[in-house]
Amino acid sequence: MSTPAPANAPTADGILRQHAEIQFAEELAALAEADDKAKPPNWMLSPWAVRTYLLGGKLANGFVVQPKYIGNGRLIEIAVATLATDRALLLLGVPGTAKSWVSEHLSAAVSGDSTLLVQGTAGTDESAMRYGWNYAQLLAEGPSERALVPSPIMVAMRAGKIARVEELTRIPSDTQDTLITILSEKTLPIPELAGEAQARKGFNVIATANNRDKGVNDLSSALLRRFNAVVLPVPDKFDEEVEIVSRRVAELGRALELPAEKPALEEIRRVVTIFRELRDGVTADGKTKLKSPSGTLSTAEAISVVNGGLAYAGYYGDGVMHAGDLAAGLTGAVIKDPVQDKIVWLEYLKTVVRERDGWKDLYRACMEVVD
Amino acid sequence: MSVHVFGIRHHGPGCARSLKAALAALAPDIVLIEGPPDADTVLPLAADEAMQPPVALLVYPPEAPDLAVFYPFAEFSPEWQAIRYGARHRIPVRFIDLPQTCRLADRLAQRQQAQAEPPDEPPGAETVEATAPPPEPEEAEPPDDLTRDPIGVLSEAAGYSDRELWWEHQIEQRQDPTGLFEGILTAMTALRSHAAPPKEEEARREAHMRTAIRAAEKEGHQRIAVVCGAWHAPVLAERGPAKDDAALLKGLPKAKVAATWIPWTHSRLAYRSGYGAGVASPGWYRHLWQARDRAPIRWVTDAARLLRQEDIPASSASVIETVRLAEALAALRRLPMPGLAELNESILAVLCQGAPAPLKLVRQRLEIGDVLGAVPEDTPAVPLQRDLETQQKQLRLKPSTEIRTLELDLRSDTDRARSCLLHRLRLLGLDWGKPARVAGAKGTFRESWTLHWQPEFVVALIEASIYGNSIEQAAEARAGKAAAETADLAALTELLDRTILAALGRATTTVLERIAAQSAASADVQQMMKALPPLARIIRYGDVRGTESTQMQRVFDALFQRAVIGLPAASANIDDAVAQALIRDIGAVQESLDLLELAQPKEDWRALLQRLLADEGIHPMVRGRSCRLLFDQTALDETELQRQARLALSPAVAAAAAAGWAAGLLQGSGLRLLHQDGLWVALDAWIDQLTPEVFVELLPLLRRAFSDFTAPERRGMGEKVKNIAHLAAGLAAPGSRPDGDDDIDHERAALVLPVLARILGVDRHG
Repeated sequence: MSTPAPANAPTADGILRQHAEIQFAEELAALAEADDKAKPPNWMLSPWAVRTYLLGGKLANGFVVQPKYIGNGRLIEIAVATLATDRALLLLGVPGTAKSWVSEHLSAAVSGDSTLLVQGTAGTDESAMRYGWNYAQLLAEGPSERALVPSPIMVAMRAGKIARVEELTRIPSDTQDTLITILSEKTLPIPELAGEAQARKGFNVIATANNRDKGVNDLSSALLRRFNAVVLPVPDKFDEEVEIVSRRVAELGRALELPAEKPALEEIRRVVTIFRELRDGVTADGKTKLKSPSGTLSTAEAISVVNGGLAYAGYYGDGVMHAGDLAAGLTGAVIKDPVQDKIVWLEYLKTVVRERDGWKDLYRACMEVVD
Repeated sequence: MSVHVFGIRHHGPGCARSLKAALAALAPDIVLIEGPPDADTVLPLAADEAMQPPVALLVYPPEAPDLAVFYPFAEFSPEWQAIRYGARHRIPVRFIDLPQTCRLADRLAQRQQAQAEPPDEPPGAETVEATAPPPEPEEAEPPDDLTRDPIGVLSEAAGYSDRELWWEHQIEQRQDPTGLFEGILTAMTALRSHAAPPKEEEARREAHMRTAIRAAEKEGHQRIAVVCGAWHAPVLAERGPAKDDAALLKGLPKAKVAATWIPWTHSRLAYRSGYGAGVASPGWYRHLWQARDRAPIRWVTDAARLLRQEDIPASSASVIETVRLAEALAALRRLPMPGLAELNESILAVLCQGAPAPLKLVRQRLEIGDVLGAVPEDTPAVPLQRDLETQQKQLRLKPSTEIRTLELDLRSDTDRARSCLLHRLRLLGLDWGKPARVAGAKGTFRESWTLHWQPEFVVALIEASIYGNSIEQAAEARAGKAAAETADLAALTELLDRTILAALGRATTTVLERIAAQSAASADVQQMMKALPPLARIIRYGDVRGTESTQMQRVFDALFQRAVIGLPAASANIDDAVAQALIRDIGAVQESLDLLELAQPKEDWRALLQRLLADEGIHPMVRGRSCRLLFDQTALDETELQRQARLALSPAVAAAAAAGWAAGLLQGSGLRLLHQDGLWVALDAWIDQLTPEVFVELLPLLRRAFSDFTAPERRGMGEKVKNIAHLAAGLAAPGSRPDGDDDIDHERAALVLPVLARILGVDRHG
């Protein structure tokens, strides 16, 4: 679930972030060359090669492919198999579980193009999913193919490529449902031109959505039925998560030029422990069950708590992060619902934190903030 | 004359199918099976139509039934198919493993030795061993990888990460069985040639099997089929000289053992129940065994139907997509057909739309499946029955269909043991004794039972025997299961009570853990509060049977803390009925705390009551009750009580709220309250200002509030009311006490004087 640095990064001058297919062009080329297995129509690589591209591996000619996704390889296999059977793929997970990252690399490997992207927001309308019009042209000529502005999805249909829809559940429900026709009939009617855009082989949709984010637009069952859902989990192992948090914190700290010292690993471990325990609803030793708060408590939030603590220690404290600097951030991260989450947090503090050896400082600091 | 060795994996459906075909082709005149020869006597029962797998062969020493060894058979077990083949064709079937008479003798000796020494190991370890699997390569101490996990070595060589998977793909899912057993034999021969020679028991077992094969040859059988674990196949095929084996088998100890069949369940076949050499997915294996073709499609269809039953939408279109995905996955993983893993992953992605909960259902109902076997009626008694009989004899408790009463004095050892047995049987669902109310007896050391034995209990015992081989073991396992199945805190506390009465230490621990876990997950504060008093009683008065009270204390503390945190939220926005129930529970918590005399919780509790009292959002009845409890603990002095009463009963407060407050305050015996003149004055003033309609409306509530008062208390209050004007005046002008003499009823006062005089030791007339 980390995003390792590429072996080769041909950065064009001034571009902050390259598309996957450009950044990893060499790997894709090597894979294509070594790939001797059957490819589904319009795929750049065979499903086996796509799998290797995402999970990493060594090719027959000795070329080493970097892993793009570190975690359960079986999930990637399900994703690839889904695309190969022509079903749309829905990647679910809490924020920070590499959904978009996986989606980008899958499209890069399958279609060689990860740019056909619709970013889902509350303001995404039908023209972003279907097509819009160039109004000057429309007024001058009336409805015509030239006046039509195709959406990324329409482009993908015509080219037989993969279209990506990010944050599908943030899109209003009526706009979401535009996808139903596209996914089941594989065509997009254009009544203004009395025609339609028919998808070529190789067209598919990868959507990502947050499965903890309640209160946004749930998918209708008609739409959900057209997707195969793969849930990307939060980091499996404690040490893996600590590693991700420390690395990101170090990077961010440098970028923001925080005056505090590098955080002690011990504090990070405590934050990660608290996050994992509350998220899993059970203490690390597996002995005590806990209530889980309503928030997601993702790794990304753990990073921001530590970062906040660092900033606090740097600007208002003695420059070294202590429990007191973390307490406010921790409490804020856990208590998202002022009534229920407060109960959860208090219970956790009183039954777990208080009893733990060497955690008294954290207990006192947090109780001060909560009460 | 020929000997054919079929190396199999226990419970392998592919092996079973191949074996069935191979036996049909070979038409042997005797079948030898790796299994306990001690069970040869009950083997013919397997041919009985009433025998429905899953069943288990049980071999046990009659004097120590808890050491029993189980040999489970499912329909898809190759051994079972071999037994059935023999029965159908009326040819002899024999078990050829080293008899349990020898193997159990060792264990019995070990136990006697352990009993001589102080036991430093919980009895649990032994039970696990008792239910431990029959012969398997991985049993005994592993000298090296090869001996411990030969198949693992093979799968590793084939590039598999999961050792089960390799065997699954290569053997169990194989469509064409030709040459299968030759292949297994070759592979195992290669492995055995690199493995260390077998150690003691395994060597003896193999020697015994070889000896049995030689005996069958000597008897003149022409085509001998030998069915054994794959690991043993090579050494049974190449038998070597007989005298080496005879030397190995010389002078083995012998113990008396009995054997019988008992019904078994799929869940006991699964790994989950801690049964060592079981199969993870018996339901899937049964499916593979029953559905010869298109197993994946049938599997997904079954899953979809199951989901539909549970009102989870699962359309045929989704079934199609699930199968397609499973097949694509199998292709991607280069498998000939989708296995259970692929099917599960596809069901999760398509049918369950990524939600793991429905998949759990599939796992439970399909993958494991709830199948219970059956045994014929004339099967010999199970050890559980024998254990009960022994105990009945020891405790002189004769089963009788006549209803009679039994009085027990728990201070005597025998009676305590009797009570224990009856409680344990009740946990097993055998209500031989029903507890009756003890009439007139004082103290907690008496128990009264109504005994009534019913013939159906025998069946119940057989059913219960899947939980264990002694009453204690079975009751313990049954209670543990009940605890795992219920999420209701009240039911769990009741179960806790019962396990303690039944003196089941480990089950008590299990239930306690479950209570701790459930209280964490539960948001129901009332349930938590209800669970506190029984716990407090056990902690305070101790448990005769020595349950670990520190653990109880821990659970109590956790429950209490959670209740304290959750109570404010739980007492806001509730109606009168809920509030009434809540203050009862609050009272129960108070009692528990009074019982335990712990400083810190008491302080926390008082702080909470103060908070409840002060918070306007809390239901007035709860606030009134908090006020009262604080006053009773003298955490609130008289002036403060008066202030609170005036505050709560002031005209600005809605009449219903004020009445609720008063009701909460007044409930329960009120001797101390009687002397709080200020309170009564406030109450009087409040009632005075009520309009008649409102008064009538509130009357039932107020009446109920006073209903707990004892008669003298009520009388005393009546007196108060009579003099309320005086009281008010007295309060209004502190210092000038009302003229007390006028208030005294001289006649009544005189009645007390003799008693008072005697108490004080003065001579009234002197």
